[in-house]
Amino acid sequence: MKPEETIRILYDAGVEFVVIDGAAMALQGSAHLTKDIDFCYARTPKNMERLAKALEPFHPILRGAPPGLPFRSDSKAIANGLNFTLSTDLGDLDFLGEVSGLGSFQDVLGASDVKDVGGVDCRVLSLEGLIKSKIAAGRPRDLYVLPELRGLNEFKKKTGLE
Amino acid sequence: MTEDQQKFALHLINNPPPGSELAKAREYGVDLTLFISTLRRSPTERARCLSEGARIFQIAKQPHLSEK
Repeated sequence: MKPEETIRILYDAGVEFVVIDGAAMALQGSAHLTKDIDFCYARTPKNMERLAKALEPFHPILRGAPPGLPFRSDSKAIANGLNFTLSTDLGDLDFLGEVSGLGSFQDVLGASDVKDVGGVDCRVLSLEGLIKSKIAAGRPRDLYVLPELRGLNEFKKKTGLE
Repeated sequence: MTEDQQKFALHLINNPPPGSELAKAREYGVDLTLFISTLRRSPTERARCLSEGARIFQIAKQPHLSEK
């Protein structure tokens, strides 16, 4: 997994994205570890084209799909789907068109903070946004992290630490 | 993190107000001291830690290590 490099590549390609889920937790200050990086992306034709172009050099394939299942990472394929779990040369990357509890990209963007990651102003889902999405997702693994997220959120507010 | 911030942060994690989210998190088993160590890092450093953590996780998952 290469979060810094991946964010830089997407940023340089002009992709509109927000880091969400486990990687957002880590960037917000949680000690949580994750194996993949999740993004919410804008589903405008231009953005989907930029995303496909940015990913192409890193040989994306659908993660967990049977070997040989054809997948072309192009804007048409992205437009025809919504959420993509990919294995790439950059590691496992998930691209979601919507986030449970929040909605589409604009809603997720509205619930994000800007963090400087490797010199890039990167949009990262806020702790409040993460809490909302985890409650809505409702799986045991989502609910498991809620006490930490709520505690961290309160800690940051009271101390002013970021 | 300034010295005053650190003092206050330490006080807070050692004495979370009853009924607060911090108190609930501690009761749940969250190590609150990790908040201080992670927030001392910049987001870039946190991204690097995430990468390193994933690398170690990957190594630990290798079959020859899991069998031992």
